[in-house]
Order: sequence, then structure tokens, then C-alpha cells
Amino acid sequence: MSHATLHPTPRIADALREQVRTVALSLRGPAVVALVLLALGSALAIAEFVTGGGPVDFAPELSMLPGIVGFLFPIAVWKSERRFGISFLWLLPVDRRRHALVKVAAGWVCLMATVLFFLVWMLGLALVTGGNILGDHAVRLLPSAIVPQSGTLDPAALRTVLYAPEPVLWLVPFTAATGAYVLASAVAIGVRHPLRWAIGVPLSVMLVSVIGAAANIDALRLLASRLVEFIHEGRYGLDALLTARAESLNTAVILATGKTVSVWRGLPDIGEWAVATLLWIGAGLVVLVAASSRQRERRRPRAPVSP
Amino acid sequence: MSPIISERAGAGAGADCAVSTHGLTKRYDRDVALDSVDLRVPDCAVYILLGANGAGKSTALKLLMNLEPASGGTARVFGLDAAQHGPEVRAQTGYVPERHDAGYTWMTCGQLLRHASVYYPAWDHAYAARLSDALELKLERKLGRLSKGDTRRVQLTLALAHRPPLLLLDEPTDGLDPVVRKRVLALLAEHLADRPTTVLITTHHVHEVESLADHIGVLRAGRLVAQMARDELQRTVQRYRIELPDGWEAPRDLVVAASRSSRATREVQWTVVGDEREVTDRLTTAGARVRDVSSLPLEEAALALLPVETSR
Repeated sequence: MSHATLHPTPRIADALREQVRTVALSLRGPAVVALVLLALGSALAIAEFVTGGGPVDFAPELSMLPGIVGFLFPIAVWKSERRFGISFLWLLPVDRRRHALVKVAAGWVCLMATVLFFLVWMLGLALVTGGNILGDHAVRLLPSAIVPQSGTLDPAALRTVLYAPEPVLWLVPFTAATGAYVLASAVAIGVRHPLRWAIGVPLSVMLVSVIGAAANIDALRLLASRLVEFIHEGRYGLDALLTARAESLNTAVILATGKTVSVWRGLPDIGEWAVATLLWIGAGLVVLVAASSRQRERRRPRAPVSP
Repeated sequence: MSPIISERAGAGAGADCAVSTHGLTKRYDRDVALDSVDLRVPDCAVYILLGANGAGKSTALKLLMNLEPASGGTARVFGLDAAQHGPEVRAQTGYVPERHDAGYTWMTCGQLLRHASVYYPAWDHAYAARLSDALELKLERKLGRLSKGDTRRVQLTLALAHRPPLLLLDEPTDGLDPVVRKRVLALLAEHLADRPTTVLITTHHVHEVESLADHIGVLRAGRLVAQMARDELQRTVQRYRIELPDGWEAPRDLVVAASRSSRATREVQWTVVGDEREVTDRLTTAGARVRDVSSLPLEEAALALLPVETSR
């Protein structure tokens, strides 16, 4: 037996701390670009406000941006790693599967910091322009959840109500970004060609729909459209995760008078949002853990050969 | 040629081996990269693994690091099964990979060293600084802008700075200029003198590490065809100066790795693999006159075990 004194492996907390630092460092470039864009957008909003335009309201649940950033974030987190090859990350003395999850967690920490920064920035912008910060505001409600055809809606049918967003909706950007990030991370560490999947799956659904329409097979066409509707606008669909359904409930209609107005088919429901969030993040975590098995520390596939 | 596996000095069951493999096999689809290899690297030895390009040297190192799954067999490092204890094995190992790729192109060398230090609790910061100085690392330069040689220096620093008990060096001097090569070998010698370390080196330049080498292994098309201690190799592969009678025919099973003949005399010089007394007896019995037997430099002896197209 060897007389060498064996070296310990690093503590997982140290690896996580270091990965947070590494991911943050690697994101400096995109962060500068995002900051410049944010500054430009804010300058335009302030300029509009100064020249008589409306203030910028602070309604975190209305922005899909954190969710979109959450979907794209894993690309930035994993861009320097050969996920399925031999990269520096895998040479280090940490269990490969655990290390992949540590890196995902580190990316999440950076994502949350990014979302927080964005929210604080938007809050500042709302304060500067005197916008509404999660306060009451009047919204037009449609009498039924079905959006009427353009130009047929009687303005008298609209009901104006005071809507006071629940304070818990401040959490929406964080949960939206988290859910999207977890799902996208699962794809990033679970498949060799994530872009092919990201494009291929929607294309396949579209193809099914087109084939259904062309061949006049209603079942096929309906299957595709209902699947999309269920995943996107369903009670617990992606929109519920990303904006507490603020996106799908809010729509523009053309009144009988010819005027286009923004109306709500209903108001965001905290319970639905909470369930959708739990479902999506829970499912995302399950898929992430399953996907991480693609990165497991290699195991010997068969028994040793006898001499 | 049948395998020449010494039973001495680590070639046994692997009890005193820092690294041992048993039937280690690696296939890439139908290609066999490693074929049932039984490697024995004694503790604290410097083991040179030789082989032509594609012989399976780098694959063997990757399997020891558990960077790729073996198709069969086992690999053990300090008694740890590499397939089951990959992280623990990597914690004991300083690895210089075949590829000139030190990791994140956007990081500076200094940032990468700091990054790596977190992962190795045994990292010796003072030693890392000394290595950086000795190898003249450009700590402020981004890794993506380093030359091949500069990248190799960073990889060597990363491999040595945590003072691992095992070094797996895959062509460690590849890409380095002669001055830096010399410096690297001096650092390696100093490293070995400071702390007991087992080293497994693959190289095409045996003469560079000749002074450090204790053991030699030769891979040919994925098979380990020779494995022995340095002195044993030099006794096994020797040069024979022979005078041949007219119409002489060599014994059929004599392993002649290289030959040189003189037209002026009837002398030939053969590099023959085998026990000296036995070879001499057989040559003499066959009618040849053995004038002289001499040892070969390590590189020449080792190369004699490689395929003809590589050894010449």
C-alpha cells in the first residue's frame, strides 16, 4: 500500500462560493451591455416624462423580462464549459454531477442579484418619475373572459375597478426568473445540443398543427393548439409563472367607437400564481436533478476482466 | 513481440503501487484504445509511459482521472478505485492534459490560479508563487491570449502547486522552448526531491526525463507490451556486435529491434531484446561470433520496444 498522505477534497460550500465568484466574473461583459441598454431605456423614459409623457409605474408582475432573462441565463453560465467533454470544471476534485448542480446554483445566485438590481432600478425610475408603486389604480374589466371581435365592444360594457396589486407580487420577478432558469438549466446540462431542442420542440408542435390543418384532421390541429394554450395561457401555465397571468389576462381591444383600449379579462389571482410557481419550479427541479445524471461521475460499466 | 512484463519492482500484484490497473480497456465504438492493460506504477517512482501516437497513452491517463468511463477493467490510485472515487483521485493528482487548454479564456492566469487554489485545500500559495516566478507566468494576461508554451506553463503550475502525491503528465514539455524545457525538468526534479511523489509521464522525448526515470512501460496499439524497471530494461535490450559467417541465418525467434551492418567487415550490430546470456548462447550456437555486448542509452533501449516505424 502507498505511504502517501492523501489530500482532502474541497468542501462543497467553498466550491459554491467559488463558482458564484466565477460565474459573476464571466458575466461582466453581458452585464455591461445590459446596463447600457437599461440606462438608455431609462433615459428615454425620463425624457418622455419631462416632455409631458406619463410616469413609469412600478408593476413588477407585468414584466416578462426577468423570466426571459431566466431562460437565457444558463447560456451565459455554461458558455465557457464543455458540458459533455473534458473541461477544466470536470478536472477539479468535486463529484461531477454535484459540481454541475453547484454551478447551476451559483448561476441562480447571480440571476437573483441581477433581478434584484433590475427591480431596484425600476423602483428608482418609478420614484423619479412619480409613478405608481404597487398602489391602487383603475383598470377596465371585460364583462366576460372572452375577448369580443374587434370593433364590436360597447364601451358601456366595460367595468372600471380599482385594482390594488398584492404586495406578494413583488416576488413574481424572482420566482419567474427562478422557474425559467431551472428549466433552461436542466436542458443545458441534460442534452448535448440544447439549441436544437429549444427550436425543435416548438417546431414539431407547429408542424403537427400545420399537418392537422392541411390534412383536415381536427384532432391533430386541436391537440397542438390546446397543448400550446395549456402550457402558455392555462390556469397554471407559463404565463402564470412568469407574470401571475398579467400578460394573458391583459389585452387590447378595439371598441365600437374605433378606439383601442387596454382591458383585463380578469385580475391576477395570487393563489393560482402560487400554485403555478410551485408546480413549475418543482417540476423544473425534478427535471434538473434527472438531467444532472447525464453528468454523473463515471461508473465502471462492467465487472473487471479476470486475469 | 510477446509482452515483456517484469515480475519485479511493482510489476506484481500492485501491493506497493501508487497506480495500478487491471485489465483496463477502453473502446471508442469499434476502435480499441486500450486493451486489457495492467499498469503498475510503484509508489514514489517515476514511470515513463511510451508509445507511438494513438497508442493509448493519453487515454490511460484520462481513465486514471476518471474523466472518461472505462469499457472494462479497473484503475486504482493509492488504493482508490478511480471509477468510484473520481473526486478523491483527482484531489491526489496533478494532471497536465494532452490538450493545450488551461480553461476559461476570459480569465487571467492569476485568476485561474486563485480559482484552482480554492479546490485544493492542500494548495501551497508560496510554492505556487515560486513556480509562477520560475516559469515566468504572465499573471495579468488572459488565458485566451496565451501561446501554446505559455498555456503549458500554466498547466504545469496548476499541476504542481497543490503538491499532489501523484503527477500525471501527458507530454509535459510539449510546446515549450528548450530553455523552458530545461527549467521545467529542473523544477520537477526539485519537486521530487522535496516531497515523495509518484510520477507517470507520457512523452516522446525520453532523453529529457532519462535522469528521473525509474520505470518504463511501452504501449503498442493499446496493449502494454513492456513494463519494467529502468536497469532491467537496459539489461534486456542491448546492442550486440556480431561477426557472421557466410550464408548465416538468424535464429527465427530472436527479437531484433534494429540492425546495422558494415560492408568492410562481416560485422553487424544488432539491438536484441532478451536475456544477455541466452541471446549470446543462441547466437553462438547458430554459428555467429559475439564480439561485444553493450548497454544502450535509456531512450534507445525504450524505442527498441516500439514499432519499427516509430523506433527508427
